[in-house]
Amino acid sequence: MRICRIAIENFANFDSVDFATDDCLVLVGENKAGKSNLLRALRLVLDPTMPDRERQLGLEHFWDGLGDEKLGCEVTVKVELTDFEDNDNLLAVLGGFLVSTKTPLVARLTYLYRPKAELKGNAPKSLADYEFLVFGGKDESNVFTSAQRREMPMDYLFALRDAEGDLLNWRRSPLRPIIEELTVKLDDTARVELQTLINNASIELAARPEVAESAQKVAKRLKVMVGNEHAISLALGLAPTNIDILLRSLRLLIDGGARGIGDASLGTANLLFLTLKALELDRTVEAGERSHTFLAIEEPEAHLHPHVQRLVYRHYLGADDDAPKNVTTILTTHSPHIASVAPLRSIVLLRDDPDDEATVITSAAKVSLTKDDEDDLQRYIDVTRGELFFARGIIFVEGDAERFLIPAYAASMEVDLDALGVTICSVASANFLPYVKLVGVNALNIPFVIITDRDPQDGKEPLAYSRVYEILHECMDDDEIEDDVEELFAQAETHGIFVNEKTLEIELFNAGMGPAMAAAFAKHANTWGKTRQGLMNEWLDNLTSLDETKLLKWVEEVGKGRFAQALAGRTSAAHCPDYIKRALNYVSNGFSTI
Amino acid sequence: MASPQSSFKYLEAAEQLRSNSGQWAVYESTGNVCVLAGPGSGKTKTLVTKLARVLAEDVRAPRSVACITFSNEAARELGRRLRQLGLEQSPRLFVGTVHSFCLLHLLLPFAHLAGLSLPFPLKVATEAQARDIYKKSSEKLRGVGQPTRKEDVDRHRRVHLDRDTRPWRENDDLTGLAEAYEKELRKQGLIDFDDIVHYGQRLVYEHDWVLKVIRAKFPVIAVDEYQDLGGALDRIVRRLAFDGGVRLIAVGDVDQSVYGFNGANSKLLEDLSNMSGIETIPLKVNYRSGTGIIEAAQKALRKDRGHESFDPDRHAFVKTHKCVEGLLDQAAYAIKELVPAALKTREGRQIGDIAILYRNKNVGDVAAIQSAKCGYSFSRIDNSAPYKKVPLTVWIEDCANWCVEGWRTESPPLRDLHWRWLSLQGVLSEAQARTARAKLTRFLWSNRGEGAALEFVHKLRAELLQVVEATRLELADQFAQVDAMQRALEKGGELEGNAKTELGRRDGSPNLLNLLTLHSAKGTEYDVVIILGLDQGSFPSPGWADNTPEKMDEARRLFYVGITRARDEVHLLYSGFEENKYGKRYYNGPSEFLRGL
Repeated sequence: MRICRIAIENFANFDSVDFATDDCLVLVGENKAGKSNLLRALRLVLDPTMPDRERQLGLEHFWDGLGDEKLGCEVTVKVELTDFEDNDNLLAVLGGFLVSTKTPLVARLTYLYRPKAELKGNAPKSLADYEFLVFGGKDESNVFTSAQRREMPMDYLFALRDAEGDLLNWRRSPLRPIIEELTVKLDDTARVELQTLINNASIELAARPEVAESAQKVAKRLKVMVGNEHAISLALGLAPTNIDILLRSLRLLIDGGARGIGDASLGTANLLFLTLKALELDRTVEAGERSHTFLAIEEPEAHLHPHVQRLVYRHYLGADDDAPKNVTTILTTHSPHIASVAPLRSIVLLRDDPDDEATVITSAAKVSLTKDDEDDLQRYIDVTRGELFFARGIIFVEGDAERFLIPAYAASMEVDLDALGVTICSVASANFLPYVKLVGVNALNIPFVIITDRDPQDGKEPLAYSRVYEILHECMDDDEIEDDVEELFAQAETHGIFVNEKTLEIELFNAGMGPAMAAAFAKHANTWGKTRQGLMNEWLDNLTSLDETKLLKWVEEVGKGRFAQALAGRTSAAHCPDYIKRALNYVSNGFSTI
Repeated sequence: MASPQSSFKYLEAAEQLRSNSGQWAVYESTGNVCVLAGPGSGKTKTLVTKLARVLAEDVRAPRSVACITFSNEAARELGRRLRQLGLEQSPRLFVGTVHSFCLLHLLLPFAHLAGLSLPFPLKVATEAQARDIYKKSSEKLRGVGQPTRKEDVDRHRRVHLDRDTRPWRENDDLTGLAEAYEKELRKQGLIDFDDIVHYGQRLVYEHDWVLKVIRAKFPVIAVDEYQDLGGALDRIVRRLAFDGGVRLIAVGDVDQSVYGFNGANSKLLEDLSNMSGIETIPLKVNYRSGTGIIEAAQKALRKDRGHESFDPDRHAFVKTHKCVEGLLDQAAYAIKELVPAALKTREGRQIGDIAILYRNKNVGDVAAIQSAKCGYSFSRIDNSAPYKKVPLTVWIEDCANWCVEGWRTESPPLRDLHWRWLSLQGVLSEAQARTARAKLTRFLWSNRGEGAALEFVHKLRAELLQVVEATRLELADQFAQVDAMQRALEKGGELEGNAKTELGRRDGSPNLLNLLTLHSAKGTEYDVVIILGLDQGSFPSPGWADNTPEKMDEARRLFYVGITRARDEVHLLYSGFEENKYGKRYYNGPSEFLRGL
């Protein structure tokens, strides 16, 4: 089973959000964007341990944008679930809550906080006039009962919890069910055998003269104090010796048994806790205690080494075949290490909408990609540590050359990309489309610009034509897109797509970077003899005499990236190619032409 | 653990089944079973023990078991027997009629989703409304005083489930009336009793997702009295069991099928028992009757079913008596001679161990007058009951009984009354349920003790039921039965002056002589059974009520049901003629059913 849609109204940071979700949910957003509130909203519907008095909300839980209008408003949290048909227990519960009967079936659970029905539409005077309902389907009298909730509960691990304390507390320890299982499984022979071992060890220890002597010391003093009559016989031994009690006293030891959990680092304790939790989730399903778990972990990066974060959450997020079954993992994170191992479609972005004082939520769940594109993107995100997800804006470029030069030009134009939260993303080709699909309005909706080469062709439209056309196709209807090459490119700029006249290096030369280029060749080209220098001087004297093919060949020789790196130190606003200037202005205008 | 509601009492109960190979086979079954249970064969015991085992061992929450029975009265009895094994009605166990199953578990949750063209929210027409609508629509179509009865149209609707087939199309008369009636119902935003089952059946047939959900919710479905349940349920059950993979436990007796006039068809059970993929288990040992009665009963049925008495040496007999002066004479003979004799035959036998059975109300009237004359108090159950047993009226009766004496003995248990009260109101949140339970408890507690039933029902209605009546439209027909109940208790009503104790008492006390129609006698047992009116032309009546071979067979089965109620003695009374209401006698001899006995 999985959650397929979440819709929230008038709750906490959320005015009205409605987004699709995939197998797992990785909630990414800046501090205060509302990640914890989103978890809280889910808990209102799904967490059986949340007491009902917490479902009776306070005014502070209403969306702040409502201002003085809060009283009278309704708070709703809708969670839609799907892919539960193969599980009879889940189907038995959710079969009564359907909202779509097409395959796969979709069921809906709703938390509704509203003025009491008995007011019959009269204005509530205070929150005492409010009631909450949690119901399934569309009929509010169809209560989602707590017994049903326990069949598919949400387990909530809050941020910075005391993993060590939980491990040491027998009642709360996730180790407890494992020990209990062990106790039940031991057959009589094994029990006798273990009991004998322990007894013998205990007797042997007690019989040691040194130990016996110490015991005698206590016994003697006791006799002196209270006399023979009241003294009791004493010995030193390993306590206790009953096998069941002994088993309960088993503890996890680390470092080859040298130390207990109390001495472990916070990170280790957390890691062990998460390991035991995974086992416990398996067990609860096997034992028939529940059929599904929504496991919500808040900021799981706490105390974990980045490398370990990646490994643990790759497991929880289901990238491996041994991922926990019957579990929907829900994480909130700041950590690029976790975001980068998150399956693409699990990403849920929370962002402030400054106009609305509300959080906007977008997700990648429904992005339509080919398998190859998806794999490419996933690899890219892994390598770049998911930086896309943390960006407030993105500049997509074709390759490393732009990656070196654009920040340099931005700096010289006094556009502070870091302050704007804008990241530059090289797609290492001209295949922007999958990236655009991922961050476009229908998915994560992150503002972006694209800077690309025209790549002219003899007697045909330039290669950029179809490239740009396909991208525009993602954000508008076909019949709105211009046919004419120049008009298309002009239209593209209003959507943040900037195309040059030919190729980056030619544009640089024409923008006045020639001398800087000559200096770069002098340092990096295989040869920089008289002939080449002469040609270069000729071109510099008369810009129209440039032999583009030759120039590009020399650049190839150095390597485009290396060449650009060498140029990056010599950029200036005055010598910035126009299309890059326009693109950077677009960025600094808040991703808009105005 | 997700609290599997289980009690281990069933393990003890199971020991009692072990020596009976049929019962044990049912208990041990793991797949579909069809139990053909002869009279007195312990089928209820077998069924409840098996259900208890299934609940303890096979089905865990949130999945459930449904047990579908013929009537609310039967559901109540089954509920009582299950309670003895520690099983309560709960979200894990549904016990109810096919109508309540279809309404609660098919129509209310799915009709809207499936886009059935029914008026929403679903509102069930009361009987009076339905009659009224039928009268109006049929007279509009056929003119005032048109002769076709609503029962015949209802039966036509019940029997022909597929509306695009020839039998539906070819019977212009009934089909036309049915369609006009249904159209008028819809216009008034109503569905009726038969619609519930009809559309329930369509949901299961036409929507695979409904089948899937029902299978998930009810991996096991038991059906009791299969032979009396009509074609719609048969289709639902077959679809669930053979297409949906639901495990079926069907129990019934072809020979006791007596509701053909209602749309039941004994052939359905017979066909089911012959299907592949289902294990058919006959229960042949009769724990009730002695050999003499069992043999006579099989002769009366004209079929050798191989039934045998558990206690073959016990003295038991069937005797015919000729009363030359007619029906009045039969009744007088029964009450003045046979009843006192029967009371003397065995020490400790009480008047409540004797039953007088008859085919119709008129004979019942004669018997009632006669027993009153002779100073016997009696309890009479016929079709002329003043109100119907629906879940709501049955619940009210049980509430009244709890208030009188039940609160001391926990019978019925308060939690059972709670649960039924809650389930009448649909699914409630925990807080709502808590309030509802508290309110009911307070009401019952403050109304303890004996008192007038009418006052009790009035109060209950005002304090608890009013809110529910306003919000749960689908209960409208049940509330009409509460109205009928109140009317019967009022001045001039049939139950005028009844005390709470008397409300809903079915099995008369040991001090009351039992007068029942043969139909009402189903499922009962007595030491001594006296059947009146066994005169050809009356029972059977080949020229009128039993004018087809099918109807004749059904009448014979009804006779069989009567005989098989008895443990020790059966007395069959006839005069050799029947008399119409003007006193004219028709000499057709004794009932043909007596031939060869």
